[in-house]
Amino acid sequence: MPELRELVQAAVGASQAAEQVEAYAEESRHTEVKALRGEVEGMTFAESRGVGVRLIRDGRLGYAWAADPSLAEVAETVARARDNAALAEPDEHNALPEAEAATPLPELFDASSAATPVEEKVRLALELERYAVSRDPRVSKLDLAQVGDAVGSVAIASTTGVDAEYARTDAWVVVVTLAVSGEETQTGFSYAIERGLDRLAWQPIADEAVDRGVQMLGAVKPSTAKLPVILDPFAASNFLGVLAGTLNAENVLKGRSLFAGMTGTAVGSEVVTLVDDGRRPDGPGSCPFDDEGVPSGRIELLSSGTLTGFLHDTYTARRTGGSQRSTGNAKRAGYRSTPGVGTSNFYFEPGTPSFDELLTKAEGGVLIMDVAGVHSGANPISGEFSVGATGRRIAGGALGEPLREMTIASTLPEMLRSVDAVGNDLRFFSSVGTPSLLIGEMTLAGV
Amino acid sequence: MLDRDLVEEVLRAARRKGGDVAEVFVEERSSTSIRLDDGTIEELTTGLDRGAGVRVTLGTTYGYAYSNRLDRDALLAAAEAASAALRGDAPGAIVDLTERTGPGTNRAERPADGLPAADKVRWLREVDEVARGISPEVVQVTGIYMDSAQRRLIAASDGRWIDELRPRIRLVAQVVAKRGDVIQTGWDGPAACAGVEFLDAHPPRVTAERAASRAVTMLDSIPAPAGEMPVVVANGCGGVLFHEAVGHPLEADAVDKEASVYRGLVGTRCASELIDGVDDATIPNGWGSFDFDDEGEPGQRTVLFTQGVLQGFLQDRMLAAKMGVAPTGNARRESYAHPPIVRMTNTNILPGREDPEEIVRSTERGIYVRGLGGGQVNPATGDFVFGVSEGYLIEGGAVTTPVRGANLIGRAIEVMSSVDAVGSDFETWEGVCGKDGQGAPVGSGSPTLRIGRITVGGTGA
Repeated sequence: MPELRELVQAAVGASQAAEQVEAYAEESRHTEVKALRGEVEGMTFAESRGVGVRLIRDGRLGYAWAADPSLAEVAETVARARDNAALAEPDEHNALPEAEAATPLPELFDASSAATPVEEKVRLALELERYAVSRDPRVSKLDLAQVGDAVGSVAIASTTGVDAEYARTDAWVVVVTLAVSGEETQTGFSYAIERGLDRLAWQPIADEAVDRGVQMLGAVKPSTAKLPVILDPFAASNFLGVLAGTLNAENVLKGRSLFAGMTGTAVGSEVVTLVDDGRRPDGPGSCPFDDEGVPSGRIELLSSGTLTGFLHDTYTARRTGGSQRSTGNAKRAGYRSTPGVGTSNFYFEPGTPSFDELLTKAEGGVLIMDVAGVHSGANPISGEFSVGATGRRIAGGALGEPLREMTIASTLPEMLRSVDAVGNDLRFFSSVGTPSLLIGEMTLAGV
Repeated sequence: MLDRDLVEEVLRAARRKGGDVAEVFVEERSSTSIRLDDGTIEELTTGLDRGAGVRVTLGTTYGYAYSNRLDRDALLAAAEAASAALRGDAPGAIVDLTERTGPGTNRAERPADGLPAADKVRWLREVDEVARGISPEVVQVTGIYMDSAQRRLIAASDGRWIDELRPRIRLVAQVVAKRGDVIQTGWDGPAACAGVEFLDAHPPRVTAERAASRAVTMLDSIPAPAGEMPVVVANGCGGVLFHEAVGHPLEADAVDKEASVYRGLVGTRCASELIDGVDDATIPNGWGSFDFDDEGEPGQRTVLFTQGVLQGFLQDRMLAAKMGVAPTGNARRESYAHPPIVRMTNTNILPGREDPEEIVRSTERGIYVRGLGGGQVNPATGDFVFGVSEGYLIEGGAVTTPVRGANLIGRAIEVMSSVDAVGSDFETWEGVCGKDGQGAPVGSGSPTLRIGRITVGGTGA
């Protein structure tokens, strides 16, 4: 079986004069174990590899990919990309990035996690399930107890001199509890992702999932009102994906961002600083270089409320022109897709107030613990959203009555402007992270 | 795709420690996707995917392993890994593999892979041209064309051998309209398990017109009101709601985990008596149709509700055996890289008798929903939420001003029980449903419905 490096070099070797060719190869091995009622509910073990080829000729871009190709099939994939390019329209901004060395991030690979035997993962999942159902009499069943890990590597090479490779490990735990009281059932979700299996603090995650389920028992539907709202990190993280879309330079260039043309203006309150940093050692989305080989870095998109920039890949930087350079934010869903602008570790910088201090500032308001339907209930172009929510009332600096079957509605710019305080409890959920956010006023619809 | 001797050898290796059933799923998928954006063909991608997954089940537990290499060593390694978690010890038998054939639910008259890419590019140019022609306020058009041919082989230790080809085709138009500071979007994307003949019935021009008209119409929208009110859901949209709010809690895995609001309610009324609902994999060329599901069970039409009375759940083989009922052919997987899980196919509310216009006329005040942007349900609590992508006020029995930023939120049983009118005008909608990290193409359909009372979330008065 050829090494990834050989595969991408073979693609570059199959290039013809007057064309740019880039190959992206990845391989991964991942294991997922789910436990239920003291048994292994399911175990999935997977190995995959593949190569995607981007080819630019006369400004025309073509893409083709193949799963587990031989060296000969790599050459065929290049030929298919060439055929596809012939049918695309020329765009002077299509170009591959010039080679630029990226400082390695060896800490992204945890050798002991990569070497963990399957039996150990099975044991961990069983222990997780057993522990989670032992914490509270109202939680005797789980919807999900899962332990997973992935070991992967990526290689990229191009005719413009890119020749880069790195390896990573990731490990995660997911718990969804069912809290039952009489006829009522509520669910509690928690999740953590770390570099390696031995760094997963799974007990606090199980405790949190139990707690988040039990807290919701007895939830009622509130009446419609305008109130101060705290979005906890679980709830707030749901909005970051939509926000990332509005800061994606491709959307800006194509008239699909509400922030187009607003660089240098205040779009959020002064306590809001929004960052994408591909090199945080603790960041789930860290990588030494992006998916077209450009080194990762840190960029501030909102600095104390002022819009300072957008996320760029090589294409959007060239099309924007001037001094704009790629911010190292070319991302792809895997070897099957072309790179596009995306996030690495995209997060709100934490502030100083603790969660308890936020509670005292939100007297008479509501803590939102979960939102549902952001992918359908938020318009990434207009920024309007209306989403389902669950949470608890805030009274006397403490959490009170649980609430369900309500919606919160606003617009992204309105929400950013009305952030009164940012908590110190930054937490990452895959590639997005956020602390708790205190929003001065939001419409909450219920009865 | 693979010869029988090798498949038998892999199945035998997978049953080295016994288990109830060992199964091999092999897939080869070729696909084309073309994207037009900003007036130009930006991207034309072709892919060739293949791989195999091996599963061994025992009771309701399973081990699954896959590889995208199809050589003997890789397949045997997958069989070894899939059986590793099994606690049995005695090897199990393999029944002689016998080919089963289906009725050809998804026959493509003119397979898309036989058509030059230049023809497909032309459809997207038409989308761009037509959408921009609808109004000068149309500022951006994205057209996406996709087709794929998935050939899959399912062989299992109980002797089944099924080789089925599934053709897919879809054309999507996304349109952005702008007036001053107001930006709105519109979308349309018909899809089927068929060949390019599907686009004769759903021409790119019509898809473009629909998407553009939606975006332009919504420019006139006002913020949606908030609070409880009657909602008339247009034909097609109700199926999406039924799929999400009702269908997911009816999936046997949710029921088995005691994470379904419908658990223990078979035989009781848990929807309005106007509601007859089915999950139907046998609709010819339906987006969620197939001859056999991804465990090799025949696709079927499963009655879920008769006059509001719950008839049963959607099953796969493992859970049906546990519950002592017959499988319903609802095991599906995104690809060889995923174990099969219980999924819907085409989930429909059947048409009723009322004139859809009369349903609106008899509604004094409320919201008329013409487009839902998808939604989310918590099967354990039945709480669901939907974004309304195209909605209007109903005032004095007439559809009036468009509204934006609305959503619908409620609980499955309460909302389905408060349906007080069902129209005669059935329409379908095609989408991609996500569950446990797997995407599955699903169809849904419904006539016009009126929900007597539901919470609308919005920012307006």
